[in-house]
Amino acid sequence: MNKQKDLSQPLGAIVTFLVPALTIYVAFTAYPVVRTIYNSFHEVLPGHPNEFLGLQNYVTLYNDKYFWGSVKNTLTWALTAPFFEQFFAILLALALYARIPGARFFRIVWFTPVLMSFVVVGIIWMWIFNYDWGALNVILRAIGLENLAMSWLGDPSIALPALILVTTWMWTGFNMVVLLAALHSLPSEVLEASELDNCNWPKKLWFVIIPMIRPTILNLIVLSFVGKMKIFDLVWIMTKGGPLWSTETVSTYVYKRAFEWNSFDLGYPCSIASVWFVIVLAGVLLLTFIFRQRDKLEY
Amino acid sequence: MKTTIRLMKTLLLAVMAMAFTGSPGKAETVLTLWSHWADHESKRSFVEGAARAFESANPGVKIEVTWYEKQALYAALKTALRAGQAPDIFYAEPNQVEYLENKLLYDLSDAISWDKVEGWAKDSWSYKGGVYGLPLEAWTVEMYYNKKALADLGVTLPANKQLGQTEFVDLVKASAAKGLTPIALGVGDRPYPGAFLTHEALIQTLGIEDYDKLLKGQLDWGDDRVRKALEFVKTLVDAQALPSSFSTLKLGESHFYFHTKPGALMFLMGSFYPSRAFNPPDKGGQPEGFELGVMMFPALDGAACPNCKSITVGGSYVVNAASKNAELAAKFLNSFATPEMANEWLDVALVQTGIKADPSKIQGPNAAYFKELSEIDGMCTFYDALPMGVMTGEANEVFTQVVNQAFPAGLLSVDEVIEKMNATRK
Repeated sequence: MNKQKDLSQPLGAIVTFLVPALTIYVAFTAYPVVRTIYNSFHEVLPGHPNEFLGLQNYVTLYNDKYFWGSVKNTLTWALTAPFFEQFFAILLALALYARIPGARFFRIVWFTPVLMSFVVVGIIWMWIFNYDWGALNVILRAIGLENLAMSWLGDPSIALPALILVTTWMWTGFNMVVLLAALHSLPSEVLEASELDNCNWPKKLWFVIIPMIRPTILNLIVLSFVGKMKIFDLVWIMTKGGPLWSTETVSTYVYKRAFEWNSFDLGYPCSIASVWFVIVLAGVLLLTFIFRQRDKLEY
Repeated sequence: MKTTIRLMKTLLLAVMAMAFTGSPGKAETVLTLWSHWADHESKRSFVEGAARAFESANPGVKIEVTWYEKQALYAALKTALRAGQAPDIFYAEPNQVEYLENKLLYDLSDAISWDKVEGWAKDSWSYKGGVYGLPLEAWTVEMYYNKKALADLGVTLPANKQLGQTEFVDLVKASAAKGLTPIALGVGDRPYPGAFLTHEALIQTLGIEDYDKLLKGQLDWGDDRVRKALEFVKTLVDAQALPSSFSTLKLGESHFYFHTKPGALMFLMGSFYPSRAFNPPDKGGQPEGFELGVMMFPALDGAACPNCKSITVGGSYVVNAASKNAELAAKFLNSFATPEMANEWLDVALVQTGIKADPSKIQGPNAAYFKELSEIDGMCTFYDALPMGVMTGEANEVFTQVVNQAFPAGLLSVDEVIEKMNATRK
């Protein structure tokens, strides 16, 4: 009797389709993560066998004031910038949704920053923040607010907010486009019903629109949070973590420890990366838990 | 048909012959070199010229040079060395002790004609009995000034070109009062220019020996002489000696700031200044008719060594210890160690070299500058490293953030500098 082929489980096809993706995933994601964690327990020097250090790197990290300073800066960034971005993105998306004059033009203009690389954005904003001839100080001087002109990237108390402003400028457009898509997908009958109930614009926004686009907003916040927790390029271009470590982020600190501290040891930078991986993961899980949808909206 | 078969046989024979003998034009040995100076045309042409000359003198050898920006090169090298894929020769500076500590460099003790190299330059690459780098580029810290602007302020330099402490502070105040930035400096993209003021003052007040101890963590930053030097710098900072854009002003921009717009009275800078400033004005060089002068750093009151200053070996070439062609690579480096090559470097790169040269033989438009520089440096005693060449790890990082950036920017007091630097002493 001929053995019947089980067409519901075509093993050959499953393997054929899975292997390429799995190979890439294992080679470029899983292995580096595992290797990073492995390295964090060792001293890793070129030309030497790895020396097992146990938890020594983690003990050093616990007492590393530069690391904790960079954690503070990164968390400040990650916990503020997403909300600024959402606030401005909602305003801009609503403006486009309401079809303001020149909406098509503004949609392109507001979205453009996200198309630029961090390097370009960094250079543009370094020009804007330049003390002598930067646009910001020139405008302040022109309108008689000369005493507000300052070295925006040279003052430790201002430098981090200045960088947060830059990422907000850069990413608001992206959030705006996603929110605009969410607004356009809202059922018109719900909005019309609220109008029949004499709901004015602020109330309609607060009680109808925002609750309905809440899942989109929350997803954007989580995405932005993860992005800010990993931020490196902009800081490296604009301040290199200075002045006085006021803009040092965990990513720039890892890079400095791996490439700039006169050391070849990869073990300690790996321990920072491992701890940060756990913190970012915990942060995402926490945000997901906080933002979880208790009552499913039906419309 | 017969013709076709004959042609195919001939081709087959030719292919077999090439397989056994190698292609006629192919080099037997390829030396790879990774170097900084991607945007320094004069240095590139000098090194490329040396490579071509070496190839001509050594048939069968080909030198492939890859040019990088410094930071990109350092990152690429660290990755390549860890992976065992580094080039035969690469650019390095003596402060990169990690190469030495991990035995990644080939010992050049017997490979270079060291009698053709300055002793201090050789010392900067000496480590545990070996010598590991060819000190091609060297530079001193110089106080450049605009002769016309100084004359406009009614100040004349003494014969030894060195003002006293009070005279210098008065000069800074007079310049600032006139709306002319006294000293152009910026730390937007480099970890060292902002520290020039402080470490030149420290060398003078402490003298070479104690200054060395300070950098090595063997002398307290609270020492009265250190405090005195820091207070001098603080006086200058408070007198608005530096540009308001100090924190973000980049190295190239600070050159332009000094000689063109908005203009400054003085420029405390490495003697690599001419490599940018002596270009035509449309390529960022000094404007036509700009009168450049060089003066001594002011003599501080009670200084242990008023004529002491910093000299440092900059761009050097080293040989990868793991290279299969290490001897040949070292032979190539030795081709740089001649007085002719040293003079050519001076003439082309417009910055000093660790190889023995004779600046008096330099002719042309830059001869007067090299004569003046030579006279000034002839009066000096040198400490042959910058702080970042001596300090490593945390001490280096704190020095960069504190002494290079925050202190000259007016963000820290003298006491805070002392406290932060002492915290790094182990």
